[in-house]
Amino acid sequence: MSIPLGHYLMLSAFLFAIGLCGALSRKNAIIVLIGIEIMFNAGILNLVAFWHYKYFTTLTAQMFAIFAISIAAAESAVGLALVIAIYRFYRSVDVDEITSLKG
Amino acid sequence: MDTIFWILSAITVIGAVLAISLRNLIHCVLSLILFFLGIAGHYFLLRADFLGAVQILIYIGAVAVLMLFAIMLTRHVTGDEGPREVLGGKWWAGMGTAIIIAGLLWAIVRKDALAQALPTGVAATSVAEIGKVLVTDWVVPFEAMAVLLTAALIGAVVIALEEIIRKR
Repeated sequence: MSIPLGHYLMLSAFLFAIGLCGALSRKNAIIVLIGIEIMFNAGILNLVAFWHYKYFTTLTAQMFAIFAISIAAAESAVGLALVIAIYRFYRSVDVDEITSLKG
Repeated sequence: MDTIFWILSAITVIGAVLAISLRNLIHCVLSLILFFLGIAGHYFLLRADFLGAVQILIYIGAVAVLMLFAIMLTRHVTGDEGPREVLGGKWWAGMGTAIIIAGLLWAIVRKDALAQALPTGVAATSVAEIGKVLVTDWVVPFEAMAVLLTAALIGAVVIALEEIIRKR
């Protein structure tokens, strides 16, 4: 296998941009969460790629990746619970319509 | 091996693009599962076997299924209503994304070391090794993570059950 590290970083940058674009431009709160998950995964892929190319000599990168995955799971559980609570109150999950806190 | 990298990258990027651009929310989550599978394949290719298994178990087994349940509970399967516009009519989102990706790609390309860094034949890590490190060097973050997960899950249940609690 002769893929240089730069290829993984570029793939990761593309995935991050796709996730960011989805999180910023879509209206549905669940798609915003999907975009955030894509960005999380792009970041973790970076860590694992740097570990594979021996920028870390210990298991630090894999530990960081495991903790990041756990935090992402907790984040999506709370986020989806909030989506359900918001839907119950507003009868909508459109993030452009939820403007109660707008000054 | 190079071919596997390109195939997995294509699967990952296509899955990500479909996940944020399809209109039916169920299809979005199914594309997201394709994206997660591609990332897990990348982990296996990078010899991080445990992470690949964790990716499949947690992301596909828990997060994607949780999203499907949230979609079913909110009944808005069709996603965004109204006429379809490019980027939902938000030009600044596209522009911000373009600026960020241009900056990132520029930063990657100008470093020659990154293009020359070739894999060094790293050995796969055994699960026993990861487990040992997790309860010795990383025991404090590990316990903190346990507390965080418990708090987050209890919090999620409390938020989602708000009305029932108020009625009592």
